[in-house]
Amino acid sequence: MKPPPFAYAAPDTLEEAVGLLTEHAEAEPRVLAGGQSLIPLMNFRLAKPGYLVDLRNVAGLSGIRRDGDVLVIGAMTRLAEVERSPEVAVAAPLVTEAVGLVAHAPVRNCGTVGGSLAHADPAAELPAVALALDADLVAAGPGGTRVIPAAEFFTGPYSTALAADEILTEIRLPVWPGGHAFTEFSRVHANFAVVAVAALVELDGDGDGDRIRRVALALAGVAPTPVRATAAERALAGAPADAATIRAAADAAATSLSPAGDLHASPETRRGLARTYLRRGIELAVARARNER
Amino acid sequence: MAPDTRTISLTVNGQPHVAQVEPRRLLVDFLREDLGLPGTHIGCEHGVCGTCTVLLNGASIRSCITLAVQADGASIDTVEGLAQGGELHPLQDEFSEKQGLQCGYCTPGMLMRAREILAENPDPSPDQVREAIASNLCRCTGYQFIIEAVISAAARMRATKEGVAP
Amino acid sequence: MTTANQATPGAPPVRDHSASRRWVGQSIRRVEDPKFLLGRGGYIADRITPGTLHAAVLRSPFAHARIGRIETAAALAVPGVHAVITGREAAELCDPMPDFGPDPAKHTWRCLAAEKVRYVGEGVAVVVADSRYLAEDALELIEVEYEPLPPVTDPERALAAGSPLVHEALESNCAYERSFDFGEVERDFAEADVVIKDRLRWHRSGGQPLETVGAIAEYDQGTGSFTIDTNTLSFTSYLFMAAGTLKVPVNKLDIRPVPAGGSFGSKLFANKPAVIAGMCARKTGRRVAYLEDRSDNIANCDHHGSDRVYDVELAMMRDGTMRSLKIDVVDDYGAYIQFGVGHHGNALAQVVGPYTIGSVRYRVRAALTNKNQQGAYRGFGSEVNNWMLEQMVDKAARELGLDPVAIRRMNFIRDFPHFIPTGNVYDSGDYERVLDHALELARYDHWRAEQQRLREQEGRHVGIGVITAQERSVFSATEFWFWFDEPGAPVTSTPESVSLKVDATGGITAVLYSCAFWGNSPETMVAQLVAEEFDCSPYDVSIVYHGSRDGLPATGPGGSRTTVMLAGAVEGASAKIKEKARRAAAHLLEIGPDDLEWADGGFRVRGDPERKKTLGEIAIMLHLFKHSFPEDMESGLDASKVFDHPYTTMPSADRKDLGVFYPFVGHACHVPVVEVDIETGAVTFLNYAAVHDCGTLVNPRSLAGHIVGGTAQGIGTALYEEFVYDEDGQLLSSSFMDYLIPTAMEVPELTIGHVETPSPYTPHGIKGGGEGGRMMAPAAINAAVNDALAPLGVRLTELPMTPERILAALRAAGHAG
Repeated sequence: MKPPPFAYAAPDTLEEAVGLLTEHAEAEPRVLAGGQSLIPLMNFRLAKPGYLVDLRNVAGLSGIRRDGDVLVIGAMTRLAEVERSPEVAVAAPLVTEAVGLVAHAPVRNCGTVGGSLAHADPAAELPAVALALDADLVAAGPGGTRVIPAAEFFTGPYSTALAADEILTEIRLPVWPGGHAFTEFSRVHANFAVVAVAALVELDGDGDGDRIRRVALALAGVAPTPVRATAAERALAGAPADAATIRAAADAAATSLSPAGDLHASPETRRGLARTYLRRGIELAVARARNER
Repeated sequence: MAPDTRTISLTVNGQPHVAQVEPRRLLVDFLREDLGLPGTHIGCEHGVCGTCTVLLNGASIRSCITLAVQADGASIDTVEGLAQGGELHPLQDEFSEKQGLQCGYCTPGMLMRAREILAENPDPSPDQVREAIASNLCRCTGYQFIIEAVISAAARMRATKEGVAP
Repeated sequence: MTTANQATPGAPPVRDHSASRRWVGQSIRRVEDPKFLLGRGGYIADRITPGTLHAAVLRSPFAHARIGRIETAAALAVPGVHAVITGREAAELCDPMPDFGPDPAKHTWRCLAAEKVRYVGEGVAVVVADSRYLAEDALELIEVEYEPLPPVTDPERALAAGSPLVHEALESNCAYERSFDFGEVERDFAEADVVIKDRLRWHRSGGQPLETVGAIAEYDQGTGSFTIDTNTLSFTSYLFMAAGTLKVPVNKLDIRPVPAGGSFGSKLFANKPAVIAGMCARKTGRRVAYLEDRSDNIANCDHHGSDRVYDVELAMMRDGTMRSLKIDVVDDYGAYIQFGVGHHGNALAQVVGPYTIGSVRYRVRAALTNKNQQGAYRGFGSEVNNWMLEQMVDKAARELGLDPVAIRRMNFIRDFPHFIPTGNVYDSGDYERVLDHALELARYDHWRAEQQRLREQEGRHVGIGVITAQERSVFSATEFWFWFDEPGAPVTSTPESVSLKVDATGGITAVLYSCAFWGNSPETMVAQLVAEEFDCSPYDVSIVYHGSRDGLPATGPGGSRTTVMLAGAVEGASAKIKEKARRAAAHLLEIGPDDLEWADGGFRVRGDPERKKTLGEIAIMLHLFKHSFPEDMESGLDASKVFDHPYTTMPSADRKDLGVFYPFVGHACHVPVVEVDIETGAVTFLNYAAVHDCGTLVNPRSLAGHIVGGTAQGIGTALYEEFVYDEDGQLLSSSFMDYLIPTAMEVPELTIGHVETPSPYTPHGIKGGGEGGRMMAPAAINAAVNDALAPLGVRLTELPMTPERILAALRAAGHAG
């Protein structure tokens, strides 16, 4: 399973990289980040880009920094670095937890944040995280940079709002320091998620009477793109953070889904897993929010 | 028409190399065939089984889904670099002592991953080792004796303080 | 059962060294290890030399289609491409593949499909190029016209009238059908108090070793000979069939084995890559490597495992006594049937398990469908029988209100040798001892209490499986042909050979034939056995793997036969060497041969131990000093033994008694404790104990490793692994992303116990044990899951027990998933 031939460049600047994508448009170029998703596809000859623009030498695309209430992560930042980052763990522990579930450590050593987002696997963790946090994704193209909200970024299975000559440069994640849970069901350890849930809550009040002030829920593996469980969010906002309310919200959210089936899970099973993991995820996020008070 | 090639410079097991490679050449094929280091094996060529694991700048990677050009400027460690001066590395020795190998095909990748595991945590518990090696499939051993081997090797490496850094 | 067969077992007396064993029974480090640890394993892909060309195969995207025109000009024009051979041309260059099936002329199997493709992934053309990269580039330029045909993918529908035919010449998709009656089935059923019935489904999984099959071939135009290096070799006496495929005499074909990265059966007689490489080598005049990649192998390995639908009835007495079995099994063999229904012979070898069941009806139908064919997978069909029978025993226990341990114990066979209804024999055993040891190691009582506590206090669904089952070893050739009343070739040989050579320094070399290294440890086994014979160090024994052409007859690994057969061959060759060495020593010491005894690496005079000659002293004389010996004593010190199956008897003409064909039968008890998450269908292990009895162990640690590894594969079969074909015959699990192999996190730590009841019929009392883990685990895990879900009225009868199947069963029983 050897990849087909392609032209290749590893430019030193973002401008050059964008320029190459534009210049070689007819060769159906692809951007090479960590290659953990792209190269297997090329080995299967399911992806046959005529031109590969490798971002490995482009400066300024990697790094993690806190910018007020926003966590900014460069697109070429390796997942392993994100996983180990104390800044991320403080600002957005949902990200830390989700990244730890992306495949295995060797894949995280190479794979990048930008690569995972741009690959847009409907079952992937980071797109669901981006959606839950209402992240902004920054793209650079021939016309300059633009900011694409996560809600508009994922357009279909393996398909994003990025133009063929645009490169994702960074992701801006609003911080959400506590009350998080990223849970997923996979068939074997660290394999692709069948269903994954990102849950974020903020609580009001103390003890038994606490209520959910703010909540964000995103699911992967249940639709052509990651989705927000907006109806459930509305049902939970301001509601008591008790088991019955959470269960009802999870049930309602799951019933509204129309997931596809595959050899691993039927639509009905995916709905059931969504219900279960929403419930478990929200409960865990609530428990953590309480612990952090 | 001759295929387009690139020049890459990299260090493999401490030896510098400069080579011409097609951009599409997979790192595992470059190591095995161009450098004559067949110890790194091919299992799936889609990044799932971990058989092809080598260390790149100390971090484990899957060489079957890495292009050789992506290793330009890097320092690679393969199984051939483990034994020093005719002496087996404690990991190799313990794999034999504990029978942590049967067919031996996953073994080089497993050894390299084990090096990384012990570099990050020189004193792991069996559960930690089990979770860490889940990245590498073995079809023969059922993993139990591999875990025992890694734990024993870790103890020996701690005892002799033989620099665990890869 | 005929009395005659039982009265004359034909088994030789066995030498028992148990009192003084030095090496057999030691868990020494394997002699094979250093090269593998250093990355110098010498696997087939490591043997590419400069100038070797590479082949790649174009595979059908259709499950069933006629092949029309194939355009190859564009592929041939690619620089670096040396040849393109289509299936039609291959049919002229090569004859059909070796096929032990019922009617090969009617289900003809070729190395590449010529007129019709019969499964997704079947090869239709091969390209030979300077590199695999270029060969794959060229594959994309080949245009094939396909005329799709309706596929058949369900084995029962395949057998129904009006189904699309996989092989028109067969006029049916039933490649074989027969019903056997062993003992008084109708009487036993009539006398039974209750009949337990069930329908069970076992889906195909496969060995899927991390290394695929590969071959490097050269054809010498001068001699008309093929030399093929490959990671498969077995049944050397049958290699005339592979030579026939390549259209050369068998003495012009040399197949040389190289170490394999695992097999689990899937490299047994796997000659297609060798044939393809050979064909390409002859066509191009160059050395050609054909190394399957993972896509090639998953879809096209020709070694998918059993794929069965069972309708079973177990006749019982109310007190729990098992009386009789009626088994009706449909087995989905895929598009070809290279090993016939041998997988059912493996079932019949131990069809009643460890129980005193008196009669069996066994009806088997082999269905052909548009899938890759079955081959060998650890257990070779007996593991499925174990699973089916243990399911029935547990169901009987439940229906009769009996304890699952007690029902097994009360039906155990206790007297040995014991002939089962099919005619096969269980040579020795102590099933109670294994069961008691397993329950103790498993802390069974503790876990029963925990199970109850967790259910009542936490609402958790924990289950314990207890299964007791057989692991037969060392097959006879009769199981290839007792399916037919008038077999074309009623063969009776399954030998294994070893040559031992003692050089002038006294060093020993052991030559193995057809004895592939697959991860089993033939070198270590032989080294330990030779060391036992000659009092040397196992690490001083040199092991050579001989090629097929000028080698001795040998069968190779399979059916857990290797250690037993190698032990017999080593013992035989050692005896011959010692006989000559004794005579030589007698001559050198000027004493009668009978006054000498073997001790500590040499012969010494009985009663005068200072007068002795070491093996080395004898050897140098024999090698270099001919004139010191009588005329009839040849120079040198080497001997070979062709060790034939030590205990085989013929089937009766009416086939009511199949004779003895798998006599060395081990036994095991597995006790897993699982928890089922009824919301997700996930199954996790809380504990796992396993006790095996494979007779005398040569290297206990090695056997333990096989038990753990086999159990891991059994876990895969039980929960994760399946070659999933959809209705169009598309293989959905076509990569490791979807064919799910257990990682270290899916396999629990096993507590392993050994019991040794030696075989009375084998050297050292050894029995085979390499397959055992996988022969037990699927049955045990299914039992445990069913035990967990019994309070919910749910019982799983289909493997693998995926989350989907578990949740579907829960939903069907009214529990929301």
